[in-house]
Amino acid sequence: MVDSMLVIEAFSDALVSGLIAALMAVVNLLPSSVSDAFQYAFMQRALLTSVLVGAICGMLSCYVVLKRWSLLGDAISHAVLPGVAIAYLLGWPFFVGAFITGALTSVGIGAIERNTRIKSDAAMGLMFTASFALGVVIISKLASSTHLMHILFGNVLGVKHSALMLTFVASVIAILTVWLAYRPLLLYAFDPQQAQALGFNTQIIHYGLILLLTLTIVASLETVGIILVVAMLITPGATAHLLTDRFKIMLLISVSIGICSAVIGLWLSVVFNVASGGAIVLVAFGFFIIALLFSPKQGLVSRQWRRWRMG
Amino acid sequence: MTASTLSAVAAIEVKGLYAAYQRHTVLENIELAFPKGKWTAIVGPNGAGKSTLFHVLTGSMKPLQGSVKAFDEPIAMHRRAGHIAYMAQREAIEWDFPVSVWETVMGGRYGHMRQDALWRRLLPARWHHGRHSEAVRDALIAVDMLAYADRPIGELSGGQKKRVLLARALAQQANILLLDEPLAGVDPPSEKLILSVLRREREAGNTVIMVTHDMPGARRHVDHVVLINRFVRGTGTPEDMLSEAKLAELAVSSTEQTVNDRQTMPGAAYGPAQG
Repeated sequence: MVDSMLVIEAFSDALVSGLIAALMAVVNLLPSSVSDAFQYAFMQRALLTSVLVGAICGMLSCYVVLKRWSLLGDAISHAVLPGVAIAYLLGWPFFVGAFITGALTSVGIGAIERNTRIKSDAAMGLMFTASFALGVVIISKLASSTHLMHILFGNVLGVKHSALMLTFVASVIAILTVWLAYRPLLLYAFDPQQAQALGFNTQIIHYGLILLLTLTIVASLETVGIILVVAMLITPGATAHLLTDRFKIMLLISVSIGICSAVIGLWLSVVFNVASGGAIVLVAFGFFIIALLFSPKQGLVSRQWRRWRMG
Repeated sequence: MTASTLSAVAAIEVKGLYAAYQRHTVLENIELAFPKGKWTAIVGPNGAGKSTLFHVLTGSMKPLQGSVKAFDEPIAMHRRAGHIAYMAQREAIEWDFPVSVWETVMGGRYGHMRQDALWRRLLPARWHHGRHSEAVRDALIAVDMLAYADRPIGELSGGQKKRVLLARALAQQANILLLDEPLAGVDPPSEKLILSVLRREREAGNTVIMVTHDMPGARRHVDHVVLINRFVRGTGTPEDMLSEAKLAELAVSSTEQTVNDRQTMPGAAYGPAQG
């Protein structure tokens, strides 16, 4: 058991250094004014973490946007805080605590919605703020305020090797799940009743997707923090939705936008010495604005142009 | 059990069914048998529970009580085997969703793909799924939409959207077709086409069950009619069930129902319902 753990650890270590080497090979092609910033080990760790987080957030954001789960994503990301705090207290892995409180909150939202006259937006707002408040209270009791700030807003330049490994494993799991369950997830997002009629267990798909969201949020904790992760779970998918009518292409665009915003944001944050989480989200929003204006079918400018040409 | 004597084994048999949304009972004590190989119309006023019945049959809603069987076996088994196809109402679909007509119709094959080898399932359907692509093609030809295969679904007209949803149900090659208002809001040529497709399905020995508001159409085409308004209000031939007197009775029962709704329904109403 211990042996196999060691083997897995050594294996993933090797994979991560391989990935960093591959990334650096690309980065070194850039002008030295850009690539110089990435010569430090902590920057390389930050770069790989950002790429992974950008990729899985971009992937998941397609489902979040199409399923109208933006508010749910917001709710889960906030609900993760007390779980992280409790896990910290008990010495558990972050993910376990985060998933338990994330899942409890989403079950609580469902229960309130079904059994009372409270509507879903109020149920979500109610549950996630309560959960978040609990997290703030616990953390204020046991850790410094910088610690809280790092969880809330990310601290990608301080990413430790262990946190990078967690992000790496989470990314592999998320990507494999979406690949293996591509069809059930697509059908569930498009038409849950059809999925049900074909005998798919939509309860499992539903909670599986929530689990995947929680996993992604925990993996993004160090990079953008739990407040801003919801932006990465909405913006790339929304941008991609403006640009294509094909789901696979939407996934591709969304993942690319996620990665590009993470990398460009990281670089800008180092150059201008500003908060990296904020910089990443602002770059993503920049992409959204460009798509909003210039998307061939949906863009405001392109539509105006067509109208003008039609006379 | 007069209903179940209609044929030896019913395609779908519903017994003692109660269903509710939150605290609102929608269906009470439903006893129904849908005859195998026949075309049945479910008729009732708005809010009578027709769509709810379909939600129960497709499994997206759990009933409070009662059992549903297909071919005398638990219906969940037949759902998993892909024997039950469902055509949603147009309003139930998100038409902005980034999928093409082809991909949408391929959705009808997703159940059958579970039987494929794992390595096949991990590849795009176009590459390695000969029989699935063939079924999709046949279905698109049947509804005269093959030329639109690569179009995004959001660009279709109302009648075309209906035909795509029907094609998805056909692609499944199921024994039982559940159709929620297949003729609502379609242009006359689409209506004609949909009716002829359904007639062909019945001739092939499949069971067609549709919710409809179109009385003249139902009188002309179906074999069997179920009148529903919270309770089953009658089952029988179109001539008996769709007479003016019967329909007037059904309409009266709907005003009674709104009076009843203001009082608490004992027993059935309180329980976990899911959407």
